[in-house]
Amino acid sequence: MSNQPEKSIAVALLDALTSLKLAIVLLALLMVLVLACTLAQVDLGTHGAVERYMRSWLVWWRPDGASSSIPVLPGGTPVGGLLIVNLSAAQIRKLQLNWRKAGLWLIHIGLILLVAGEFVSAMLQVDARLTFEEGHSANYVERTRQYEVAVVDTSDPKFDDEFGIPESLLRDGATLTIPKTPLQVKVVAYMRNSELRNRADKDPKSNATAGVGPEITVQGLPPVTADDAQDTPSAYIDVLAGGSSKGVFLLSAGISAVQGFSHGGRTYRLDLRLRREYLPYSLTLKDFSHDVYPGTDIPKNFSSLVRLLHPERGEDRTVLIYMNQPLRYEGRTFYQASFGKNDTMSVLQVVQNPGWLMPYVSCTLVTLGLLIHFGLSLGRLQRRQVRTATAVGAT
Amino acid sequence: MNGRRILLGFAAVTATLIAASGFFDSGKGRQGVDVVAFGQLPAQEGGRIKPIDSLARNALLMIRSKQTVRADGRTLSATEWLLDTMFRPQLADTYPIFVVDDPDVLGLMGMPQTAERYYSFDRLRNHTSKVQAQASAARRVDAKQRTRFQSAVVQLFDRMYLYYRIKHTLQIEGGAGLADELARAHTQAGQERAQAIAELAYFRVLPSTGKGDWRNVGEGMMALHAGMPQPVLEHYAALQKAYVAGDATAFAAACTKVLDAGHRADAEAVGVAGHELQFNRAQPFYNGMVLYVVALLLLFASWAYKPETLRPLAYVLLIAGLIVHTGGLVSRTIVQGRPPVTNLYSSAVFVGWGAALLGAVLERMYRNGFGAVVAAASGFVSLIVAHHLAADGDTMEMMRAVLDSNFWLATHVITITIGYSGTFVAGAIAAGWAIRRHALRNPDPQASKSLASMTYGIQCFSLLFSFAGTVLGGIWADQSWGRFWGWDPKENGALLIVLWIAILMHARWGGYVRERGLMAMSIAGMAITAFSWFGVNMLGVGLHSYGFTDKAFSALAGFMGLCVLLLGLCLAPPRFRVVRTLAAGLSFQNGAATPHG
Repeated sequence: MSNQPEKSIAVALLDALTSLKLAIVLLALLMVLVLACTLAQVDLGTHGAVERYMRSWLVWWRPDGASSSIPVLPGGTPVGGLLIVNLSAAQIRKLQLNWRKAGLWLIHIGLILLVAGEFVSAMLQVDARLTFEEGHSANYVERTRQYEVAVVDTSDPKFDDEFGIPESLLRDGATLTIPKTPLQVKVVAYMRNSELRNRADKDPKSNATAGVGPEITVQGLPPVTADDAQDTPSAYIDVLAGGSSKGVFLLSAGISAVQGFSHGGRTYRLDLRLRREYLPYSLTLKDFSHDVYPGTDIPKNFSSLVRLLHPERGEDRTVLIYMNQPLRYEGRTFYQASFGKNDTMSVLQVVQNPGWLMPYVSCTLVTLGLLIHFGLSLGRLQRRQVRTATAVGAT
Repeated sequence: MNGRRILLGFAAVTATLIAASGFFDSGKGRQGVDVVAFGQLPAQEGGRIKPIDSLARNALLMIRSKQTVRADGRTLSATEWLLDTMFRPQLADTYPIFVVDDPDVLGLMGMPQTAERYYSFDRLRNHTSKVQAQASAARRVDAKQRTRFQSAVVQLFDRMYLYYRIKHTLQIEGGAGLADELARAHTQAGQERAQAIAELAYFRVLPSTGKGDWRNVGEGMMALHAGMPQPVLEHYAALQKAYVAGDATAFAAACTKVLDAGHRADAEAVGVAGHELQFNRAQPFYNGMVLYVVALLLLFASWAYKPETLRPLAYVLLIAGLIVHTGGLVSRTIVQGRPPVTNLYSSAVFVGWGAALLGAVLERMYRNGFGAVVAAASGFVSLIVAHHLAADGDTMEMMRAVLDSNFWLATHVITITIGYSGTFVAGAIAAGWAIRRHALRNPDPQASKSLASMTYGIQCFSLLFSFAGTVLGGIWADQSWGRFWGWDPKENGALLIVLWIAILMHARWGGYVRERGLMAMSIAGMAITAFSWFGVNMLGVGLHSYGFTDKAFSALAGFMGLCVLLLGLCLAPPRFRVVRTLAAGLSFQNGAATPHG
């Protein structure tokens, strides 16, 4: 078929897509990206470097003194995506189904699963944190690097009614209606990162008209990339209750003062905070311990003794979470991550990743495949050597 | 044949002598004092119980970068140096132990730079405050941003402070000795002195029953004051008196009493410390290095002279080196109670062992002398690298909480380091192939082919282990902090190795590279492995950024340079043939030209 003088464009494209050359070029590109991503971590931090080289379509570069950037390399997304297409298509098109190729099948299926698993993680993995002090309980986790504006009805002393507006909806000028309340909020301005200071006389008048905002000057900043740095987002929010404004509030992750208003006999609190997700169960920190090796400050162990209470399921038990020993519960995994307040506060990293098992499966498949493939090759090589030896012996 | 047997026997005896050389030293110090008996005593430092011998060696390594001192016209062992420092400080102050080679630091102390590198405490004594002031100023600068002078002055001060702490471990310097301190322990002034020792003491000598914290001498004196008898303190007081008086008998008796008390308190830990002392004395990695280098020299010689005689001799020494190396690894594993790779130092020892073993296996399969050269060379080089990495102090330091998992250390770390061994062996064979084609007039194409098949086989092996090790690392990360892959520099380094070998395999299957390409890619693979192994640690970012040293940087740069050179050799056309073809071409032009095939 391929001997025909003019191949159809589709066949030519398929040939190119499944070619070994493309695989090699893509692997080489991936190496360049990985190397660049590694070296760039010195300046950009891991998160920044990964965003720039691995989780991008194109890698941009701005020559010194130039005003605009030019794309110099394809990013990790197209390279990884094409590699998976190349791998799958070549596997299906070229490799025969026979036992001699069993190892190659296992290797390549395992690799497809591995890369697919990474895509699943990149899309679906949710990272959060749970912070609690000894003797205290928590029934929510906080998303890392995601914020929300919360409107909390605190009228009932027994419970709070909370409504969170995720960052993605906080577009300048947007007006959002809070369900089951007569309230509407209008986003006057949202800044992903900012710096706050007490307003000086020469500063321009604040946009805020209510709460502590009028006394504060806000300067917008670009978002941070370093791994240990955190953004301080701020927002000017105009609250409309029953059609009339309650004033423009300045909300910020950098403001700890409680701000709020009353309307129709109910009291509301406003907050800009890390986005919360509530759990149908609660965790109580019974004890946090932090051991060091005698006479040193080398940490030997961190562990949180936690009471897990899930009323709906009638579960009430104690679990010990420590290094290399997370708690996996209802699709979330709780890891011992950090601590503070003189060893009385514990921070758990909470991860939801539906694809977490894929690397385990993939690793087993590929390793098995490599063993089978190289084992078979070695066997063939030895048979050939024996044959050569007998041939030499016969002459 | 008989003569050959005698020669082999001679080689075996030589190998045994080299392997056992550590035990020939009598271990006796001045006036016949049994220094080794003191070195055997258990102490707690750096979070674990170890023999004083280990502690002395590591302290001297940190101060002097060597495990011995030349003084008084003889060589002092680390333990004897420690004894002098603690009990006869005036004498120890004259020993040239502080390495000062930074001209600016010397200038600070008003000294010109000379060929002399080592300075005694007596010579530095008057400059202590200047050094301290400069060091505390430099310490405010982040370690990575410091200038050469700042790093050097901080280092010198740290060394002087360590020396000061050692002096105040068992007594206050300038006092009348431990017995006198104990007699005064019940007075107010005595308690203040006890407090000072408790804060300064470098290690703890008073055992606790069970697994608890040991006490140092100062803490012991305070416990004594509180009414808890401290028999071991009395033994140490007697030991000190005997040492100062040069009474070998009393010294040995006091050592025995301290050791017995240790055994009664924690027999297991003290027993392990005893093994560690034997391990230190045997110096398996140093002796292994000597055996490997002798084997290597014999192999080189065998190419030029009497191969049938020299090669078996080299094999005997190589096997002896491997046995000693293996023994050392096993002892370390037992003493530490951990899998063999726990830090950069032990990874070098292990990678070298794996490479030497692989080389030996190749030699057994192909019997062309090539595997043996690779085995001896990689064993030797890796043990030298390990020797230099050991200069930071204790190589058996405790594992931080996140690394405290024997299961993952045994699976991920071991697998990935075996992968490193593989890429280095493949690279070494390729390097040999590259040199060979320039050195030999008529290289045998069959031999060349068999080298290529060796290299390819080893690369298959490396791919298997590198891949499995990398993914196991991801799984460990998933277990310990909830993400499989985080693009951490060390993870990326491991991925680079896997990708490179994958490219090599596909390029070979596709016919894009043949023998020479395979060899060139294997040499480059060595450079990539070195980057992934050491280079990423030097970036100082990420979760694996342990063990950074400046010296390591120039060593790594040197190795990269060597790889580039080898790559050039590998890719250049065989030189001799070029010259001969040119010569042949000229003669053709002179005579009647015939078309050259």
